[in-house]
Amino acid sequence: MEIVNHKNKSIGKIIKFIILSAVAIVQIFPLVWLINFSLASSNELFTNGLLIIPAKIRWDNYITAFVDGNVLLYLRNSLLINSLAVLIVIVISIMAAFACTRMEWKLSGFVKNLLLVGMMIPIHATLLPNYVIYQKIGITDTIWALLIPYVAFSLPQGMFLMSSFISSIPKEMEEAALIDGCGIYRIIAIIITPLMKSSIVTVTIMTFLNNWNEFMMASTYLSSKTWKTLPFSVLEFTGEYSSNYAVQFAVMALTALPAVVIYVLLNKHITKGIAAGAVKG
Amino acid sequence: MKKKLLSLLLVATMVTSLAGCSGAKSSDSASVEEKVTIRVFSNQTDRKTGQGLIEQTLFDNYVKENPNINIEVEALDDEAYKTKFKAYATGNAMPDLLNAWGQPSFLNEVIDAGLLAELDKSSYDDYGFIEGSLDGFSRDGKLYGLPRNTDVMAFYYNKKIFEENGWKVPTTYAELLALAETINEAGIVPCSMDGSDKWPLSIWMHDLIAKINGESKAMLEASVTNADFSDPSYVQAAQLLKDAVDVGLFQNGFETTDYGTARNLFANGQAAMYYMGSWEMSMATNEDVLEDVRNNLGVFAMPVVEGGQGAATDIAAWNGGGYAVSANSEVKEETIALLNYMFQPENWSKLAWENGVCMSAQDYSAYLTGDETEPQKAFTDIVVGSTSITGVTFNDLGTSEFKTISEDGSQQLVIGALTPEKFWETMAEACK
Amino acid sequence: MKKLYSNKWVIFSLVAPGIITFICAILAPICLSFYYGLTDFSGMGSFSFIGLENYKVLMTDTSFWLSLRNSLLLAVGFICIQHPLAIITAAVLDRLQGKAEGFFRCVYFIPNVISVAIIAYLWKFIYNPSFGLLNNILKIFGAKAEVNWLGSGLAIWSVLIVLIWHGFGWGMLIYYTGIKNIDTVIYEAAAIDGASAKTTFLRITLPLMKPVIQVNVTLAIISALKQMETVYLLTNGGPGNETQFLANYLYKQAFNSFKYGYGNAISIVFVVICLLATVALNKIFAEQKTA
Repeated sequence: MEIVNHKNKSIGKIIKFIILSAVAIVQIFPLVWLINFSLASSNELFTNGLLIIPAKIRWDNYITAFVDGNVLLYLRNSLLINSLAVLIVIVISIMAAFACTRMEWKLSGFVKNLLLVGMMIPIHATLLPNYVIYQKIGITDTIWALLIPYVAFSLPQGMFLMSSFISSIPKEMEEAALIDGCGIYRIIAIIITPLMKSSIVTVTIMTFLNNWNEFMMASTYLSSKTWKTLPFSVLEFTGEYSSNYAVQFAVMALTALPAVVIYVLLNKHITKGIAAGAVKG
Repeated sequence: MKKKLLSLLLVATMVTSLAGCSGAKSSDSASVEEKVTIRVFSNQTDRKTGQGLIEQTLFDNYVKENPNINIEVEALDDEAYKTKFKAYATGNAMPDLLNAWGQPSFLNEVIDAGLLAELDKSSYDDYGFIEGSLDGFSRDGKLYGLPRNTDVMAFYYNKKIFEENGWKVPTTYAELLALAETINEAGIVPCSMDGSDKWPLSIWMHDLIAKINGESKAMLEASVTNADFSDPSYVQAAQLLKDAVDVGLFQNGFETTDYGTARNLFANGQAAMYYMGSWEMSMATNEDVLEDVRNNLGVFAMPVVEGGQGAATDIAAWNGGGYAVSANSEVKEETIALLNYMFQPENWSKLAWENGVCMSAQDYSAYLTGDETEPQKAFTDIVVGSTSITGVTFNDLGTSEFKTISEDGSQQLVIGALTPEKFWETMAEACK
Repeated sequence: MKKLYSNKWVIFSLVAPGIITFICAILAPICLSFYYGLTDFSGMGSFSFIGLENYKVLMTDTSFWLSLRNSLLLAVGFICIQHPLAIITAAVLDRLQGKAEGFFRCVYFIPNVISVAIIAYLWKFIYNPSFGLLNNILKIFGAKAEVNWLGSGLAIWSVLIVLIWHGFGWGMLIYYTGIKNIDTVIYEAAAIDGASAKTTFLRITLPLMKPVIQVNVTLAIISALKQMETVYLLTNGGPGNETQFLANYLYKQAFNSFKYGYGNAISIVFVVICLLATVALNKIFAEQKTA
């Protein structure tokens, strides 16, 4: 009996492993394929095989991609714009969340709901009017053209997560501080914010992931290289090297790399952060 | 450990941002003197070969000769270019020098909205522009742009594959269709087609209308104006295109194949023919094109249709791509000066020809050397021998909305969602 | 102390940045959209008011309805394909202990962190009929004909596959978290009662996951409605308008056909649909809770 059970268990485990591996292969194989052909030469793509051993490993594809794809500049822009958006979203959402959940005023419920409505509005619905507005006030082709919509559309989610967290903090903590003569601003900065580390991580990840993918706004509002974001490496490059597939593959692999590396390194934090957000949501 | 990672990331962000910042600054400080910046919006994304190279070379030369000028180029692929161009038009904030197509569908609305600067027609008298080539850029007798090339639509074919298999260049449309079957049997794609951009399909039809009727320019212009596409030759042309699809002339999935992929199928020897404009003649010198293809490049025009009145010399040709200047440009004069520089005959025309890139819209006969590439010679022969040209094809004769509808329609035609009759009915509807 | 918490100036200073952002970046553009939606503005030059004409045209615009249908299809695809797979994978993953668990979790999520631009281009290559990965896989299994994945009829399914593939890791992770939050005591009790893995999953995991599933379903429907980037790069709505989605359609109308007014009218309808969908879903789930 014991042995049979054991056997069953190990068979079960193998089956589980097969299922999980199959899903893993589906999820990861396209990327393996991408890297494989990015190291070949363009003509080798026309094969019937799944993966190939390139006749000669073409590292120079990556050099071309790196230099001509403006990868460094665009990566810097992406990181900068996203980090700024995250920072602003966190500050504004903590402030507003505190005011709407802790402070005593008549309109708190209304204002909170108003800000949360933003969560339901699709970012692309503002694409056309914003273009005209930004053109009029002269901020197209500047960092503001991206920062404003990115912040505005990440704010509701941030506000939502922050307020559900703040309402779970016991009031006594603040009261002690109040007796010591702290003002509201100091309470938020010194007492509340440090308690909200996990929420901040969650909001950071959500905002980052949302905006990291965005490029319709970027491609409509930006024209010079100064603020273009990472997806442009791929977009511009495919035109520039339209007849060289291998180099196109290389630039795709190269632009995917930073996010993947960051994710793998911070895997546990990110998972935890999303988990915290998921439970609240 | 975790903290270290985070701080490492932060540092990395800062370093890259600093690196970027300092880079930007140093270039700024060099331009302290009163520099004029001309913003160029181009559809030539590839700045290292073809027309993009010529354009960039001219810009570089101009900046060298005029140190106070700074040229900033933003380049996008055709379709993305057209979309962004319209976005710029909507925002009323055009860059200074623009790529433009001398076609009503592209230009009329923009000219009517007063977004393009008028050019002084008489100043181009000795630039050697071919007669009629400025028409596309003119409206109500005023000139708004200059054409870059004379564009001819034709088949590129791989001579080596043709010879090895004993195939002959088709002289009639029926032969072309018959050839499709033979080539398919050999396991090669007969003709590579860019169906996702849709306009090659429209041009194909117009090309056939020319073969059926001989002259086709005035006829289609009238059809678009009168919203009347009842001429039987139109349905016939649409049917002939559909026939080509049905016999498998084009690669599988051609209706969603984009420009680059279609060309690369041919450039990598996967397809025996490729229906595209003369601007692709630079394949003959492009290192990225497979050597076997590069050195065996032939060209022939759309073959005649049996029973048609047109000859093979009634060709699909027009003066399409070119440049225009924004009316609201703050540096309008400087931009026009740059444009004029580019089109002095010894610049664009000469460079384009000598590099085997394209045929300019100007008289380039002075630059013939006899050492031209095969496609260069073939296209020259086609143009010199032509008895009539189509001019701008029908999809580009109406408004931009008509263009969208007609090109979407030609795609629906080839996938069988519209019958040839229904297709032209839709066109008539769209013109109203 | 109470005073401090109801100081109007403090409150104002705290909520002002949020409200200003909301008004300037969300409310104002939508009002402007509504305004332009009532005009025949082409994007340039002069224009005139045409009342609700744009909305009337929209009601009979087949491409518009097609876009809506596609969003619905995508939502159904998410709910019927992606989510069941994600729940099952999450449940299996949950029972796996040790390093492998973290490894798989990490691998599943990787496509999610890659920018849509890259994903769309990559899949364009994967779907390529002549040399794409997918047809090469089929060839190994002996298929002869080349399948045209982005061709008429198939295109919408191919787009769905990409979106389902790309978002799988996210859904999986959220379900996984939900399962992890289920008290292990319940599982232990079930194991003592001799329940099989299947019954445990159906009788314990699923019912306890109900709130998580509800949230995920809502999010899936909303994200199906909001779809834009992938479609824009993969097919741009083609062939014809077969794979059109609302956001892409309004963009195409405004900037390809010079119908800026009409595009804005679509924007407004787009916002209304998203609002209605969210409210409706919340209501449905709220009723279920009380029932």
